[in-house]
Amino acid sequence: MRNTHRLVLVPLALLLGLAVAFLRPMPVAAQTAGIAVVVHPDVAVDNLALTELRRMLLGDREFWPSGVRVTLLLRAPIATERDVAVRSVCEMTEAQFRQHWIAKVFRAETPNSPKIVYSAEMALDQVSRVPGALTFVEASAVGKGVKVLKIDGRLPGQAGYPLK
Amino acid sequence: MPPGGDTYPNLKIVGFGDVDYSDTKRPEGPQGFSEGQFVLHMASALSPRVTFFAELSFTAEPNAGTGTPPAPSYAAAVERMILRFEKNDQLKVSFGRYHTPINYWNTAFHHGQWLQTTIERPEMIEFGGKFLPVHFVGALVEGAIPASGWNLNYQAGLGNGRGSDIALGGDAGDINGNRAWLVNSFVKPDWAYGLEFGGSYYKDLLTIPTSVSNIGEHIVSAHVAWTREDPEFIAEYAGVRHEAVGAAAPTWSHAYYVQGAYRLPQFNRLWKPYYRFEHIDIAAGDVAFATVPMLDGSTVGVRYDATQLAALKFEYRTWTRGPGTARNYGGFFQVCFTF
Repeated sequence: MRNTHRLVLVPLALLLGLAVAFLRPMPVAAQTAGIAVVVHPDVAVDNLALTELRRMLLGDREFWPSGVRVTLLLRAPIATERDVAVRSVCEMTEAQFRQHWIAKVFRAETPNSPKIVYSAEMALDQVSRVPGALTFVEASAVGKGVKVLKIDGRLPGQAGYPLK
Repeated sequence: MPPGGDTYPNLKIVGFGDVDYSDTKRPEGPQGFSEGQFVLHMASALSPRVTFFAELSFTAEPNAGTGTPPAPSYAAAVERMILRFEKNDQLKVSFGRYHTPINYWNTAFHHGQWLQTTIERPEMIEFGGKFLPVHFVGALVEGAIPASGWNLNYQAGLGNGRGSDIALGGDAGDINGNRAWLVNSFVKPDWAYGLEFGGSYYKDLLTIPTSVSNIGEHIVSAHVAWTREDPEFIAEYAGVRHEAVGAAAPTWSHAYYVQGAYRLPQFNRLWKPYYRFEHIDIAAGDVAFATVPMLDGSTVGVRYDATQLAALKFEYRTWTRGPGTARNYGGFFQVCFTF
């Protein structure tokens, strides 16, 4: 009798444990305002169309209207900021984006591919120092000393902002 | 990166290489394994507005060790060497040795076989070929204009034109004192991201040993390319008009190719099957193209990207060399990479 109870109760306890584990509310990623397009404060541009941003990210547009060269600072692969830039702006996979830039430099269309930054802090620090620099960071991480661009007339957090 | 941005010069070197295998019914080119080109590409910004590019190739010599003096194992060549001054996106001026901006393929893929989908370039623009001038020594003015989202690109060039061997550019000087010139324009509209189409015009005066008089050369070309990989589509046409000075009538020779590919969404997007049809028609009596073979050929193959920087390509080709010629066919393989 005791063994029969054990045969029933042990599986039931395991099932209950599994149910508790799987039915417990999963941690939900915090809702963010999106990825901000951040530039050096001296860049005399407030708004970019998404297509203009794409041309910059792909190296087809290399200069700001003032004549200062655009310096692209991108997080290393896997970072959310880079993933949003590559997938949402360029509509590419990471492999396609990488091949695009190898080809771009090989075609002698530009001497420099995007420079890699390893943290949001590093990206913001470099953007504040390098004239013409542009990077992508989580909107909530943006501090002073840099400028956030509108994309298609919208800032991060506004309805319809495309970089999420 | 230093606080003010780049330091100068900031030389970067990228390399490309490939190893090939071919087996055809009737030999045309190397059989069995062959070493492809070993290519080094250098890019260096000399200042925020001045940049330098160079492309060096090392090609295995089929006649190595023969002749007097004996031919070396490898032929080294400066494929491109360009110094560019950039005012802004609209105006860039450069000098040097280029791949002639006369069609899409010649300026999109260069010597790195890893960059192109197929094993070989289309024959109309193959390296060492004569149909189109692959190299151009001179100066180029180029730029891109937004044009309300059409993104109009232009190039205009003045150079030496072809050498006495018309497969070669006039590297050491113009052989006849008559400069070649070209204009090229294409658009990449925002409303169709991935689409590019445009055309070119090229004019030169040829001086070749097999003709007693100089030959005027006019080339017109057009291209359309959809560069996204799902699908990828490239089509190009070029027409070459030759008219010997004092001759009664000019000749027109034509070439085109159509290539389609599709990166399969399955299997981690590593497989990309493709097909290309190409055609070259040489006009009877065209003295300058007397040794250029005609072509009707199909290529079917698949590219497998083993890593982000190395790929394997497998191809079957079948072709004829003009009306009444026997059909040739063969299998081809290439492993190519960048480093």
